[in-house]
Amino acid sequence: MVGAGLAGQRAALEAIRSGLDVGILSKLHPLRSHSGAAQGGINAALGPQDSVKDHVYDTVKGSDYLADQDAVEILCREAGPTVIEMEHFGTIFNRAPDGSLDRRAFGGASYSRTIFAADRTGLALLQALYEEISRETRVRIYEEWDAIRLVSRGGRVHGVVALDRKTGTVEGFAAKSVVVATGPAGRIYARTTNSHASTGDGGALAYRAGAYLKDMEFVQFHPTALPGSGILITEGARGEGGILRNKNGERFMERYAPHVKDLASRDVVSRAIATEVAEGRGFPDGTCHLELMHLGREKVETKLQEIVGFCRNFAGIDPVTEPIPVYPAQHYMMGGIHTNPRGETNLAGLYAAGEAACVSVHGANRLGANSLLETLVYGKIAGANAAEFARKTTAGELTPEDVSTAEKELHALWERREGEPPARLRNDLQSTMEADVGIYRTPEQLEAARRKLGEIRTRYASCYVEDKSTVYNVNLTDAIELGHMLDLAEVIVAGALARTESRGAHVRRDFPRRDDANWMKHTMALWSPQGPVLSYLPVTVTEYAPKERVY
Amino acid sequence: MPTIPFEVFRGSPGQTRFDTFSLDIPEHTPILTALLKIRDEIDPTLTLRYSCRQAICGSCAMRINGKSRLACLTPVGPEFRARGKLRIEPMANQPVLRDLVVDQGPFWQRYHSIRPYLVPDPQHPLPVGKESPMTPEQVAQFQETPRCIACASCYSACPAIASDGDFLGPMALAKLFRFVVDPRDGAFHERLLGVQNQSLWLCLRCNLCVESCPKDVRPAERIHDLKWMANQELGALERGSRHAIKFASNIREGGLLNEMKLARETLGLVGMLGQIPKGIELARHGKSIRKHPPIQGREELDAIYRELDRPEDLQHRPRVPGQGVKGPTQQPSKAGGAA
Repeated sequence: MVGAGLAGQRAALEAIRSGLDVGILSKLHPLRSHSGAAQGGINAALGPQDSVKDHVYDTVKGSDYLADQDAVEILCREAGPTVIEMEHFGTIFNRAPDGSLDRRAFGGASYSRTIFAADRTGLALLQALYEEISRETRVRIYEEWDAIRLVSRGGRVHGVVALDRKTGTVEGFAAKSVVVATGPAGRIYARTTNSHASTGDGGALAYRAGAYLKDMEFVQFHPTALPGSGILITEGARGEGGILRNKNGERFMERYAPHVKDLASRDVVSRAIATEVAEGRGFPDGTCHLELMHLGREKVETKLQEIVGFCRNFAGIDPVTEPIPVYPAQHYMMGGIHTNPRGETNLAGLYAAGEAACVSVHGANRLGANSLLETLVYGKIAGANAAEFARKTTAGELTPEDVSTAEKELHALWERREGEPPARLRNDLQSTMEADVGIYRTPEQLEAARRKLGEIRTRYASCYVEDKSTVYNVNLTDAIELGHMLDLAEVIVAGALARTESRGAHVRRDFPRRDDANWMKHTMALWSPQGPVLSYLPVTVTEYAPKERVY
Repeated sequence: MPTIPFEVFRGSPGQTRFDTFSLDIPEHTPILTALLKIRDEIDPTLTLRYSCRQAICGSCAMRINGKSRLACLTPVGPEFRARGKLRIEPMANQPVLRDLVVDQGPFWQRYHSIRPYLVPDPQHPLPVGKESPMTPEQVAQFQETPRCIACASCYSACPAIASDGDFLGPMALAKLFRFVVDPRDGAFHERLLGVQNQSLWLCLRCNLCVESCPKDVRPAERIHDLKWMANQELGALERGSRHAIKFASNIREGGLLNEMKLARETLGLVGMLGQIPKGIELARHGKSIRKHPPIQGREELDAIYRELDRPEDLQHRPRVPGQGVKGPTQQPSKAGGAA
């Protein structure tokens, strides 16, 4: 397993319990994974009126009909059992007065179907899953190891080469099968809700090894992040009754989504806020306001504990008595390593799950509280199928040359004596993506982004790592991560330039409508020395033909 | 914008120094942001652990002007104004690897030693296909501990860890509490037994863990709760619990500590033999241990104890475990609450 967040750990647990020995590589301690930052909740149709069918429909509609409906059906069918299993593993969820699992409303959902643990649901799940892994003996966790190469030959994956942060040594890990679950890549953007470690390593490694990346142009911007730091204010805040207002005090979501208002799906709300600000109805600091004051101190302080802390600590605002200034920030990559609903990629023995993967259950826009669900449902599926593959196959043929080649390249970077620091290149990458590949896109901006990324790519060839220490060298890992982010950014821009329509989170000013006749298909990208090579894959439709999306 | 000097611990064991970096930054800047600015703009060789920058991943704990804190959650202003500078050091009680990065092995070892997972209860299997039942009272036991992000600030701040390698430390004990009060867990008795003998009584009750915890888990209070529950569940099994229980009853009796009696009750007659050298030492310094005369204002003492014994107070203050699933709640022992 590469990655030890919810998807990686769930995959590992499944493989261990099928009787295999599992190694988990992670550049962070598992409990420090970005899964733990997920706030709002996990969807499961457990309410009395709710049904799996409704959950499927909401998810497909939310995806702007780009999700594969067979994959969504699995996601929603497995949701209830997954939540119950996590409860049995020890997750401490909020409870209703009768002791049953409490539920809250979330954007784009027809019923209250979001199970939650205050506003730290990801942390609660991560703790419980890590506890469950902790009782196992057939697993070894390589904490603070950076995967630097995924080795493939003859259409098959053979293992991973990784760097031990604590000692600077490079080692090979031969494997019969590999599951990539490295999570988000939000640090490609300047303003993101994602952690600093969210650099898309697994996606880039798989891409370089010959796996397809899918639908990378679909980048979700969360409507409510704190300006500046980009720290997320959970959608649960609106689920609990929070209201967005512009500088005129107008509840502007009534215009954009007359039925569900503030609880429209994320792409809709993000565009609404960006439009309000662009048309001069934002506050002077370029934000809109999220108001929680009317909910009362008790509700805010008990159900939204974490964000009360965030606002007080990071913005100097008390949400009990003052509005929270918010603006959209990059939040989630709908795209990722292409897999089928079995978690398989196009390379034999290579599996992917969670945010690093694209099954696709989120299509062009993910609904809130579906991503925690995806990590667990598809983590388990990928783990089970990776284990089955491992049982039937011979050992991966990882050669000493595979390891030494990767090591030599790393050392060439490390030993270079001059050049540009990774921080400067990273800042240029982030500001390019922020300025030109954001919520609204134009062909001119996308072309400019492509040109600038090309320049950064050239400069990256002389990237200079000043720190020569072998012990916990984050200057070196910065440079490695930058290479990964650059790969993914190029694919995002290529996909966005090619897709001449607006769907979900991908909005082209020059093509403002969805174009089902031409674009009801997934973008597939393969690595080549000249840059990404695009092809397309049809969307799987089972029950729901595309309709106009109204909230 | 003030110019703020950062004195940052650098290097690996055997070769350490402090580097000073000056930054012009607003006072509300989080210290992590400042350190990353130093990395990006002045010295990229500075190394530290960090990830989420929003106090949820627990990576960036360090000592800031001597206090164990999350760097992402601590603004530069107040500490700068109080001390005129910011002295940034790696966490204490853990070996330094380099700069601000420590080896967290011993910390995680302690975490794993408490069996940090639910132990099935064969008498009360979890319901098939649905959530385990939980009463509001049981849910209320989970007020603080689920907030723990394992940042090790408490571990770094804890003087008992520094002085006694056997001490599990605040985080592991708070984690233990989380399982002890869980109605789904079947190892209530064994868990308390496991720490009764050792770790519980090594806590110095200095409250530094409470003060340093960024998530308000209040580990010292959880340790206190565990002591109370251990005494209730196991009685006076060994020295620590006996001492706590007898201390309270001793004072209840005479209003002043009868040290001779307390020593006898805690250690037993044989155990007291070992204390003879200490007794001689005390006597040589003119500190004889003798029975105190009855105190004045006895009624006030009785009133204090009456207050402590009030059933609603006992119910409210020390935590009762998830006995709703397992059987009737035991009557709290009289002395337990005051221990």
